[in-house]
Amino acid sequence: MVKVQKDDFNVADLYKDLCDNNQTGAVAIFIGRVRDFSHDSTKISHDSSFELEHYPGMTEHNLQQIVDEAHSRWDLHQVNVVHRVGELKVQDQIVFVGVSSSHRAEAFLACDFVMDYLKSRAAFWKKETQSGISKWVCAKEADETSLARWLK
Amino acid sequence: MIGVKQMHKLDVVFFASLRESIGTDKVTIELEKETTIEEIKQIVAKLLDNPDPLFHEGIQASIDYNFARHTSKVNPQTVKEVAFFPPVTGG
Repeated sequence: MVKVQKDDFNVADLYKDLCDNNQTGAVAIFIGRVRDFSHDSTKISHDSSFELEHYPGMTEHNLQQIVDEAHSRWDLHQVNVVHRVGELKVQDQIVFVGVSSSHRAEAFLACDFVMDYLKSRAAFWKKETQSGISKWVCAKEADETSLARWLK
Repeated sequence: MIGVKQMHKLDVVFFASLRESIGTDKVTIELEKETTIEEIKQIVAKLLDNPDPLFHEGIQASIDYNFARHTSKVNPQTVKEVAFFPPVTGG
């Protein structure tokens, strides 16, 4: 299941969705959150906000391809991805990746794999606004390096 | 009809910092034959007041929602949309 939405998500509900199979012996979950991106940690960033732009159609297509690839690499029951878009603030949840499988190794690996690909191969762009000044977030080289771990 | 070129419309869309710096989110071009992403960039640049950001390092492209290379070919009879955007930063 792949969802791109403005609304927040409920982790308990999403976890429950992953457990509807009595062969499920392992569930790995990753949740990405908006951390305080101000460089001054003494300042409370009430004026910090965060915007996530996406490419409707392409983003969902990219995420589905990543989920399909995870299913082809490992023996998994379910792979569910929820990614928020629009305006977000510090401490908000951004992304949920949940994988269920019979054994833990596949669940851990697939969850890690999906997040690496989501970072570098799904059409999302982040923009940070602090004290009225907006800045597009630059892609990190480390994300591409991390992706290289999965090359067959 | 012999001698009449069949042109096909193609939407070209832009996202994030690229959309903001060139000042538009979409242009429509007409293509007659198979054209590479790099060539499409050159065609699009002529329609923009500020085309420079399109040529910035790292600008990526997609063809009908699939990530593409600059050498990838666009068949105007089958492709609906090409996009240009900066490196993605989701998650």
